[in-house]
This record gives sequence, structure tokens and C-alpha cells, in this order.
Amino acid sequence: MAPPAQSQRSPSPSQPSGKGEVSDLKMQLRQLAGSRAPGTDDSKRDLFKKVISYMTIGIDVSSVFSEMVMCSATSDIVLKKMCYLYVGNYAKYNPDLALLTINFLQRDCKDEDPMIRGLALRSLGSLRVPNLVEYLVGPLGAGLKDGNSYVRMVAAVGVLKLYHISVSTCLDADFPALLKHLMLNDPDSQVVANCLSALQEIWGVEASSSEEAAREREALISKPIIYYLLNRIKEFSEWAQCTVLELVSKYAPPDSNEIFDIMNLLEDRLQHANGAVVLATIKLFLQLTLSMTDVHQQVYERIKAPLLTLVSSGSPEQSYAVLSHLHLLVMRAPMLFASDYKHLYCQYNEPFYVKKLKLEMLTAVANESNTYEIVTELCEYAANVDIPIARESIRAVGKIALEQYDVNAIVDRLLQFLEMEKDYVTAETLVLVKDLLRKYPQWSHDCIAVIGNISSNNVQEPKAKAALIWMLGEYAQDMQDAPYALEGLIDDWEDETSPEVRLHLLTAVMKCFFRRPPETQKALGSALAAGLADMHQDVHDRALFYYRLLQHNISVANSVVNPPKQAVSVFADTQSSEIKDRIFDEFNSLSVVYQKPCYMFTDKEHQGPFAFSEELGNLAIGVDDQRVEANDEDLLLSTTRKEDSLSQQTQGALLVSLDHTEPAATHAQQTNSVIDDIFGLGLSSSPTPTPSPLLKLNAKAVLDPTTFQQKWRQLPVSTLQEGFLTSQGVAAMTTPDALVRHMQLHYIHCIASGGQAPNFKLFFFAQKADEPSNFLVECIINLSTSKAQIKIKVEDESASQAFAALFQAALSKFGMA
Amino acid sequence: MPVAASAIYFLNLRGDVLINRLYRDDVGGNMVDAFRLHILQTKELGTCPVRQIGGCSFFYMRISNVYIVIVVSSNANVACAFKFVVEAVNLFKSYFGGAFDEDAIRNNFVLIYELLDEIMDFGYPQNLSPEMLKLYITQEGVRSPFSSKPTDRPVPNATLQVTGAVGWRREGLVYKKNEVFLDIVESVNLLMSSKGSVLRCDVTGKILMKCFLTGMPDLKLGLNDKIGLEKESEIKSRPTKSGKTIELDDVTFHQCVNLTRFNSEKTVSFVPPDGEFELMKYRITEGVNLPFRVLPTIKELGRTRMEVNVKVKSVFGAKMFALGVVIKVPVPKQTAKTSVQVTSGRAKYNASMDCLMWKIRKFPGQTESTLSAEVELISTIAEKKSWTRPPIQMEFQVPMFTASGLRVRFLKVWEKSGYNTVEWVRYITKAGSYEIRC
Repeated sequence: MAPPAQSQRSPSPSQPSGKGEVSDLKMQLRQLAGSRAPGTDDSKRDLFKKVISYMTIGIDVSSVFSEMVMCSATSDIVLKKMCYLYVGNYAKYNPDLALLTINFLQRDCKDEDPMIRGLALRSLGSLRVPNLVEYLVGPLGAGLKDGNSYVRMVAAVGVLKLYHISVSTCLDADFPALLKHLMLNDPDSQVVANCLSALQEIWGVEASSSEEAAREREALISKPIIYYLLNRIKEFSEWAQCTVLELVSKYAPPDSNEIFDIMNLLEDRLQHANGAVVLATIKLFLQLTLSMTDVHQQVYERIKAPLLTLVSSGSPEQSYAVLSHLHLLVMRAPMLFASDYKHLYCQYNEPFYVKKLKLEMLTAVANESNTYEIVTELCEYAANVDIPIARESIRAVGKIALEQYDVNAIVDRLLQFLEMEKDYVTAETLVLVKDLLRKYPQWSHDCIAVIGNISSNNVQEPKAKAALIWMLGEYAQDMQDAPYALEGLIDDWEDETSPEVRLHLLTAVMKCFFRRPPETQKALGSALAAGLADMHQDVHDRALFYYRLLQHNISVANSVVNPPKQAVSVFADTQSSEIKDRIFDEFNSLSVVYQKPCYMFTDKEHQGPFAFSEELGNLAIGVDDQRVEANDEDLLLSTTRKEDSLSQQTQGALLVSLDHTEPAATHAQQTNSVIDDIFGLGLSSSPTPTPSPLLKLNAKAVLDPTTFQQKWRQLPVSTLQEGFLTSQGVAAMTTPDALVRHMQLHYIHCIASGGQAPNFKLFFFAQKADEPSNFLVECIINLSTSKAQIKIKVEDESASQAFAALFQAALSKFGMA
Repeated sequence: MPVAASAIYFLNLRGDVLINRLYRDDVGGNMVDAFRLHILQTKELGTCPVRQIGGCSFFYMRISNVYIVIVVSSNANVACAFKFVVEAVNLFKSYFGGAFDEDAIRNNFVLIYELLDEIMDFGYPQNLSPEMLKLYITQEGVRSPFSSKPTDRPVPNATLQVTGAVGWRREGLVYKKNEVFLDIVESVNLLMSSKGSVLRCDVTGKILMKCFLTGMPDLKLGLNDKIGLEKESEIKSRPTKSGKTIELDDVTFHQCVNLTRFNSEKTVSFVPPDGEFELMKYRITEGVNLPFRVLPTIKELGRTRMEVNVKVKSVFGAKMFALGVVIKVPVPKQTAKTSVQVTSGRAKYNASMDCLMWKIRKFPGQTESTLSAEVELISTIAEKKSWTRPPIQMEFQVPMFTASGLRVRFLKVWEKSGYNTVEWVRYITKAGSYEIRC
């Protein structure tokens, strides 16, 4: 077969768009349509191939639709397949023409050959034309009951396709129930797997609007179904095994024996040749043992070897996917991987993305015993030809230095970097030396000696320049020619493009001025003049501010610019622990690669109206984003930030939770109520709460969202019940806030809430008055049915009943007051 | 829920579409353009195989001169997607017989569309086993296993097999001569410091089999690995013969291997697929026998001259030999002139790779060979920039040698008709990434 696509490669000037060819094709197809002469099929095949190849390279061949359909009456399977492919591609945009194909597809669905039945059914589902779905229902129903497993397998996925085209048609025909029946009874494992995939998707979406679907979704992870699937696990294809394992990882076995049974059953999956199966198994093991710390640790030990094998086998892309997961685990438990650091050494030819992950892991696993080797290795990379990697390595060395293991030796190495006299190495090192000095001012002597020799002309990168300038200002008294170096920089003010550098320059000159006034006075004058004339708002403002400060009072100015410095000891963590936990929960998915939970990168519209089940995580997004930015700016928290966080800690966890709520703009209203609550303003007019005779709750209970989430994950559900809202309650429930305030009176505090009428979801917590035992509640309220679904988790099981009653009582009184 | 793909594209290096297959509607039709614009035609290419553009994620990998791009819009299972691509390419290769490149795709695009239709449905991977697919999708593309027309080969119970109940082997195979070929292929990865200490070293091995066996045979493989031997000595209550036992760090098996039996009895027993397949993969980090030692000395004499001395010793058995030995000794970019002497093989300066390429076709065991070279550099004004030395890289193949020391102790074939089989075993060790810093 001549590759027809060649024509596009060198398009002849007369037929640039292939239009002429398409009309030629149309003619030829028409001639063949009615012909029954021998050999027709072969010529048809050639023509079809041409059509498909045009379609592939993007030429619009929809104009031959009717001819294609006319030619499709054939017994040749390949011809049929090509025709199906063509129809599937163009039907969506030519719904009227698509109607033409329904007839022959439906006929094919009744063909005696199961292969043809299956193919036709698959194509019928791929038409994706909403007003043709009625023609799909019949063949699908028949397909699900077909005697041949190939057809059933196709039909199961077909139901899912139908669901995506028209939800109501799919549900009205009661297909999910049929699928469930098939899943539990079909002898063919691929049919079972396809049913499972389809059901998970359908009920996953439906669960938000229908309670029945939610129940069905829960039922999928019930013991009988899980065990049914697990017992057949070896019959499934490797891909289907992934689906099953993923489902099982959502199952929470009631006792530890069951956990061990499952793990024993599946341990051999870790030896499967398919990496996807191995990763799915690892996820399952990790999830199962979350609540058993010691076993969890053993799981880490067990999965290390398979993970390292996966990393070192296969293409770089595959090992990247696996490395991302290893990265996540290493970051969670660096100590457990400390002895495996040699596996993380980079090979010369590995791509950047692999090396970068490895460098980060090397940094994380460094401890007292292996720092020397790791830093030696990192220093090798710093001399690497690959500049980004060299930079990353230097940063890694710096990070390890900040972790305090063997700082002494590392500082020496950093200073050696400066002697390499490569622009990028010098630049990165300067930034790091600055950070080191902020944490370990005692090293200033050694560092300054070297830094003093660096000519600012050799430093071009803004960040590095800013770092150098900062050091010039900060250690002006130790560096002989600091004032003159600064003066030189100020002379080049006009050429300095980065406002960051100019800002630093202003501050540094000020600092220098107070330490060595006579030498700096001239430089300060010209810096302030240049600053005042600067076009950049911040630079201008800072210059003006300094100018007025100096005018006002020199000694005050000194204390502002040169306050006594405290060594920085707190690091900005890139991600909050909630985020990390969420990513961990989404193990074996894109989240791990992107290093953020899926709601941050999947489209809003895919989340559907019930997205607020993610609420707890959402509260933290804003905070996290800020931190990430801050982290980009600088490795260290600025001192002021640090003080902020210290004061927050001392003021108690409630303030922290406030801090978490604040950034979410949509919760502004709620924030207000939280503030009210903190200061007790909302309580002034409130009646005394009804005390429960059995259980006393702590009125001033505190719990931060992180702990809440952790506990929520760990604890089993102790009570699951349905509550009712009174009609007044329904009326009062315009926003979740109303209920939040009400529950507060009963000493049950809200930690997160969200949703829109008629569905609301709230998380509450309460504490015993006499001991620090927590009660956690998830409350889903549906106003249209005035029902509330309450899920209670308790730390002290004995008080569970009492609390459930108390909560129920409190809820029922809502709207009465 | 591991959706692996919403769409798959095959592109050539210029970005022309060779194949496109849309599985789900949640990604738009113009995704290729986004890929071309934001990845293919930018410096981004190759910096990360997973990228997000707009609301969609792109996974891509290059295989010979083709890019395979997977597009998804949900939180997909990446590892599964990449594995799927690799398996799919293997499947295509087994259909075209070898190469997978742009020409092969252009020549077989209808077949590829047929296969893409079968191996994935609505984003969920289906059956990718070549054994089964070849039953009903053939190169000629006319066969249906269900058709009533007589075919040249009886396909019993095909329906069951198509959907993978017995997955990997067809019933009713007949061979005149029953043969099994077994290859142990190991690749040694080494990272050695300039002072000669091993920084990192491991062996990844695989056991490849080719089976031409009649019926449904049961095979049992015995290796000299530690777990297997210990188990055996336990059963027979006698100590194992003195000799090296190998400790495998990690093993993975082809799906045909009965893993339950491996875990309980520590034997590798299986019903093999017909033809060629990879039986197992393993990794070893302890007790690796390095086939070669490399001792480099590189002296920079002033600004424009360098002296390079590299000594290579073979440390495997004297009766064995290595083939295709290539040693790449790096030299600076501004190399002007080289004069090289070697005690065996040939060496010359390769300007495009900035190295001295030293090739030795046959390298006997327990011998050594040296390269000494003088390199003259173009004198440059920017004298300060020192040369960062990349590592020396080495390629080789040593037949009949395993770096791990792994040996096949027995391979038993049992079939109910009780025929005799001929077993062939080969060993070979190759260089993976064999790097010596200098």
C-alpha cells in the first residue's frame, strides 16, 4: 500500500488543500457503491485507506460521508472497521448524515458473527450524537445479555459511553443495575472489569445527586464485593488488576486480621512484571496500614525493592512516573530511605527531569551518617556541563547545609564553588551563602573573606546580585572596600534593570552608611537621588522613606535599618501537611507527578456541584499558594514572618485555623463568624447551653484543621445516622453559618463548611470537658428532603452513644430558637 | 479509577500527525496543536514527559522517530499510561516484525487503527496480549475467529481466549521438534569515582525465552539463587553444594508464572506463551562481578596540552572474551590535535562527541590494554574556564558471563504426551551505564 499521506508532505501547487483529491475520491466511491463485481472490495479498501489517511492528517473528508455509508454494505471486516472509524469521527458534526449509518449499524448488531456484533456496538456508542441515543438502548440491552463475552465486554463500556452522551437515557433504561448484575455474575473477567470501571464512573458522578447512587458507590467497597473481586484477582488482565486494586484501596477493613489477609493474598502482585500493577499494589498496602504505624513502616521496607527496580528499568519516562512516587514516599519518611542513598545517584546521561527528582531525594535523605558521601556526590554534579543540574546540585548542597549536619565542611565546599569561577556556580553559591549567613552568623568571618574578593561585575543574575549587595551592606564593617563596591554599583544605577537589586542597593547603602559614615556619605546621597528619580514605584517609595527617615531622626533611622539581627531558624515548608496528605491519598495518579492534589489541576467543571466534599483541603489552598510563592522568592522565612508564626503559635490553635480560612475568598462571610466566635461576640446574647447529663463538652475546644484531617482519616466511623431538620430549621438554613452558630451554642464547633442550597456539608468537632477526647462529625444536609446524614467518629468509643444523642438533639433544636 | 487516555496521537519529529485516536470527548480536537505549539516547538521538549497545558495533561515519549502523545483531562494514572504505550508499541512491533518508526506506521496505519480500537476502549486498557489479538486481527486483516468460513488453522474456543481467560497460550499447538531457548541477559550499571572506588553498582537482568513446544507444557526453572537453594536444601535436608549462591534484590515475573507457587515453594513454574517472551526480570546490588576495571589518568599540562592514559583490565575468566568493546574517553571541546597509541584495537578522536573513541572488537579475559594520548588544545583567551570532565563511558558484551554469577541449574519440561525437548541456554552480560569518572 502506498503511503497516501506522502502527498501532504510535498503538496503539489495545484492541489494544496487536497480538495481536488477529495472530490476525486467521492467520484470513485460512488462508482463502486453499487458494484458487485469481483475485486470490488480490494479497490474499496484502497479508497477507504485514502479517506482515513486524509482524515488522520486533518483534511476534512466529511463530504464523502454518504458515499462511505453507501459502500459500507460489505462482509469484509477490515472495510467495516475503516468505515466505523470514519463514521465515529464525523458523526458528531454531521448528525443528520449519522442517521444514515444507524440502519446498517443496527443490522450489524444482530449479525451472527460476535466479532461484527461487538464492533458495531462499539461504533454505535462512539457516534456521540445526542438525538440518536434512542437507537442505542436496544442494541446495548441485547449486548449486555449476549451469549458471547466479547460483545458483553464491549456493551459494558458502551453503557458508560451512553451515560456520557445522555445521563437520563442511561439511567431510565436501568443499565447500572444490569451492569452490577453482570459484574457479580459474569464468568469472563474482562467483562467484570469493564462493568466495574463503568459503574465506578457512573456512580461516582451520580452519588452527588442521588442517595441511592451514593449507597451503591459505598456498596462497591463493601466486604462481599471486595472479597469477590480479590478472590478472582489472578484471572484479571494486568490492566483490570489495576482497576480492582484501586477499588480495594478504598476499602477499610474492620480489623487488622483482615488487613493482613489481604496483604498476604496480594503480596505476590509486587512481583508482577507490569509496573502499573506494582504501583497499584503499593498504594493499597500503604492505605491499608495507615492506622498501624509499625506495620506501615514495614510496608515501606517491603516496597522499597520493587520500587527501586521499577525506577531502574524501562524508559526514562516510565522511571520518571515511578520516581515521582518514590519521591513522595521519601519526602514522607526520609529516614527510612537514608541507607539507600546510593540508588539515588544520577547517571551522566539521565534526562534532567529524572536527575532533578533524584537530587531532591538525595537532599531529603541526608543525615549525620551519609552527609559526607552525599555532599561529595553533589559536588561532582556541580561541575556538570549541564547548567540546570549544576545549579540544582548547588542548591541541594545549600539545603543540606541548612539542615545542620556537618555545616563546617559544607561551608568549605560552598566556598570552593566560588573558586570555580563559573558565572552560574558563583551566582547560585552567593544566594546560598547569604541564606547560610542568616542562619549561622558565626560563619561570617570565613565567608566574608571570600565574598570580599568577588567583583560585582562578574555577577549578573539579579538574585545573586541582590545577595551580594545584602552581604556588602550587612557586613560593611568587615569588608574593606564595601562602600566603594556599593558606590560602583550605584554609579551603574541606570543600567540596573532589576528593581529587586535596586531595592537591595538602597538598603545596603543605608546600612553601610551607619557603619562607616564618612566613606559612604557620597554614595548614599547619589543612591537616594537616583532612587527618588526611579520609575519603579517601590524603589521610589523606599528611597523617599529613607530620605524622610534620615531627615526626621538619624538614630531612629539607624534602629530601623540596622536592628539587632536574630539568626533565622524556621524554614518555610513548601507545602502544608494537609496538601501532602491529600497527594498521598491520590497515590498512583497525576497528583503525585504534579505534586499537588487533583482539584488544583483538573478543571472546575469536572468537579461538579458537589465539589465541596473537598472542603477541608480547599481551605488550605490559599495559604499554600502564598507559601510556595514566598518560597520561590527566598529559601528562608523572613524574620518578620517567623515572628508572626511564633505569635500565632502562642496565641493558640484557633488563630491558626483562622489563618487557614482567610485566604479562601468565598468564605469571607464565614470567616467573619469565626472571628465573632473567637472573641465571643456572637455569644453575648446567647442563652446558656443545655447541658447534657451524661456528657459535658468543652466550651472552648480547640482543634486545628490538620489534626482534624488526620484524625478523620484514622478513626473508623462510629455512628452513622440520619437526622431531620424541622421545617423552621430548613427555613433558617440559608447559609451554613446559621447552623454553625447554632451548634456553637451546644459547644459543637464547626471546622469547615461549604455547599450551595439545597446541599450543604459541614464538619464539626467537639471535645470532652474533662479530658482531651475529640468527637468529629461530618454532616451532609439536604434541604429538599430536610434530611441530614451524620457521620460521627470518636476517640473514646464509650462516649459515642451519648455524643450521638447530644448531636442529634442539638440538631433537632435548630431553627426552634 | 485508572483512565489511561482520552486521546492518543502519533506524531513524527516535525509534528505531523501520523495517527490520531480520540477515545473520550473530554479533550478537544485541537490538542495536537497545543502539543506542537507548547512542547514540540519549544525548548520544553524533553524537559519533562508530563506537562499540563490548559486543562489537559500531556504524556509523551519518543520512540525512534515518532512521538507518542497521550492526552487526558482527568487525574489519570500516569504509570499505567506509560506502561500502556510501551506495551502497545511492543504489540505493534510484533505485528510489523521489528522496527517501529514513521515508515512502519505509514505503511500499517489501518492495522494500527484496528489495534487501537481493540486495546483500549473509552480510555480503559483492554486486552494487549499479542497472542490473543493475532487470533482475530491479522496482517491480512480478513480473519474473524467466529466466521464460519474455513480457516487454515483451527481456533478452538477462541471466544474464551479473546477476552483473556487463559490469557497467554493457545490450545492445540503442535511442533515437530520441541525446543526451548533461554537467554540470560544482564546489564551492569556502574558509577566509579576517579579514585577507583565503586559509588554505585547494580545489575539488572532478564531471562528471555523462546518456546516451541507442543500442547500445554508445564515448565520448571531452577536457578542458583539463594532463596531457591535454601528451600531445596531444606526439603532434601542436606547442605547445598558449595558454590556461589546469588541473592536477588527483587524479582518480577511474566504473568504466566505461578506466583503463589513461587512464594510458597520458591520454584519458578509456568505454562509458557508460545514464541518469544520475557520470563522474569531481577535486580542485584550485592556481589557483582565487574567485567572490566578502568584506570584513567588525565593530566592537564599547561593551557594547551593534555596527557591521557587509560588502562582497561578484563577481570572475567581467561577462556572468555568480550565483544564490541567501546571506550569513550572525554576530551575538551577545543581539542585541536590528538595523537593516540593503543595496545589493541583502534582509537581516534571523535569531534562531534568530544571524545576519543577507542574500539576493541574482541577483548580476551584476564588481559589488559592501554591507551595513551596527547591532546593539544586551541589556546583561547578565556583561559579561566576550566574543563568539566564528563565520565568515561564504556560499552561491551561478554557472552557466557553473568555479572551476577546467576546460572540456570535446571529447566524441566513436562507435558502429558511426554515428548522430549531440547533446551538451549545462553548467557550474556552487557554494559548498561558503565561510567568511570576521571
